[in-house]
Amino acid sequence: MGVTVLQQYPVPENKTGTYVIELLTKRLLALGATQQGQFLVDCESYLSHPQMGTTKTVHILHNSEQPASVFSILESGTKNIHVIADGLFDLLMMKLSQHYTSKKQTKIESKGPRFELGDFCVKIGSVTMNQSFKGVLVEVEYRPCVMANAVWGLLREFLQGLLGPTINIQPPQHLVSRMNEIYTPIDTIYQYLEHFSAYRKVTGLRSS
Amino acid sequence: MNQTINVDQLNSALTSLRTLRSSVSHVFETLSNGLRADHGEDGKDKFLSELQELLNNVNINVRDLEQTVNSLPIPTAPFNLGNTTFLSQDTTQDRQALYTQLVNSYKWTDKIHEYSSFAYTLLNQNSLKRSNINSATKRRGKMQSNHNVAPLQVDNVINNIGRSYNDMKITISRPFASNAVVQINLSHVLKAVVAFKGLLMEWVMVKGYGETLDLWTESRHNVFRKVTENAHAAMLHFYSPMIPELAVRSFMTWLHSYVNLFSDPCKRCGCHLHHTSMLPPAWRDFRSLEPFHDECKQ
Repeated sequence: MGVTVLQQYPVPENKTGTYVIELLTKRLLALGATQQGQFLVDCESYLSHPQMGTTKTVHILHNSEQPASVFSILESGTKNIHVIADGLFDLLMMKLSQHYTSKKQTKIESKGPRFELGDFCVKIGSVTMNQSFKGVLVEVEYRPCVMANAVWGLLREFLQGLLGPTINIQPPQHLVSRMNEIYTPIDTIYQYLEHFSAYRKVTGLRSS
Repeated sequence: MNQTINVDQLNSALTSLRTLRSSVSHVFETLSNGLRADHGEDGKDKFLSELQELLNNVNINVRDLEQTVNSLPIPTAPFNLGNTTFLSQDTTQDRQALYTQLVNSYKWTDKIHEYSSFAYTLLNQNSLKRSNINSATKRRGKMQSNHNVAPLQVDNVINNIGRSYNDMKITISRPFASNAVVQINLSHVLKAVVAFKGLLMEWVMVKGYGETLDLWTESRHNVFRKVTENAHAAMLHFYSPMIPELAVRSFMTWLHSYVNLFSDPCKRCGCHLHHTSMLPPAWRDFRSLEPFHDECKQ
């Protein structure tokens, strides 16, 4: 597991999401990347029942890179608590449907091709919520290194080269506090949740 | 000198023993043959006188032997045969004949030694020298094998090097008899395993932080395969059989410079990634330890 950076790629006016994905795919293939299947990251959020006191939100996420795991993040005010469990956790959530109700209309996912280029793994995902297109997320993983602090300059250089000079690249909010720690899969999940939450708040929808 | 006299005396003693044996066997031979035709009429008397003469011979020989044996010096201590004594304890039959072969080969090497020293003095008188025979003899005094060093000394050298780095952890194990296999954890960047033969480095394998370490399988990441390749080059570059400690120390210093493998850009092109190989600067200069891409190092 290497350090991963998730970056939003803005879809230009009067262009579609498919156009952007094709453009980035073309750039990657020109660099010498090979496509290695598809990937999918999805997120479903549950609200606790009002009878249980203050309402809390639980986000359940799956990542095709870790297919046997279910990631859950509980938002409780200032602090987020995460639990990594195996596939049975989904069934457990169904049992708990009396206490936690799913917000079906906010189920959101990022899905698209997965590329390998040397030691990099690049995923270009189109984000959809309820079948409506929301934007493009580019995930870049540098697999040999486990410390975000050491590898940030290198990842930034790679992203800048891939996405073009117009995109402003900053370290992800979640990583800033964890620069000197060993990177784990949950750090990727937090980054996806950050972006998904931002997309949910945006009301302006554009068809793909 | 004392030894040569001993050998002469021993030889004469052995000869007299042989004569005694032959004369005794002669007596028994005559006895077993009994009366013969050439003894004639009064064969009995003739036979007895012949026997008498032979026995007299035996007597003389016994006296001779006694004399020579008495003049032999008594060995002060039991003979020390070194490790060859164990040869006799070998249970397999055909191995017991090895002792003679051993002695023969010893004689051979002894002769070779003698001849070569003659040849050396002869060649030395010749002023037309085309080989560096002289420099070789000068160095011979200091020559020592660094393949066969006590494990404790190896441990000391490596641990001393390990103590001078805070972010490089060195652990020694000996999975293959007495030769050390050293595992190096360099911060959170890389892991390396170095196989030693005595104090000489024989093999290096570099892998990523999360990978399992063993001597033979390569890393799954391109960058560490490249670093392994470069580490082999460095190992050969620093190789010095005369001062092995310096070689190990220089190599460790060089390896330690990989602590910034991902964070420092190439000194020549100023970029992290090379545009064709997509690798970070995986080469470190031997002297300055500055990071370079493989393609930029010239």
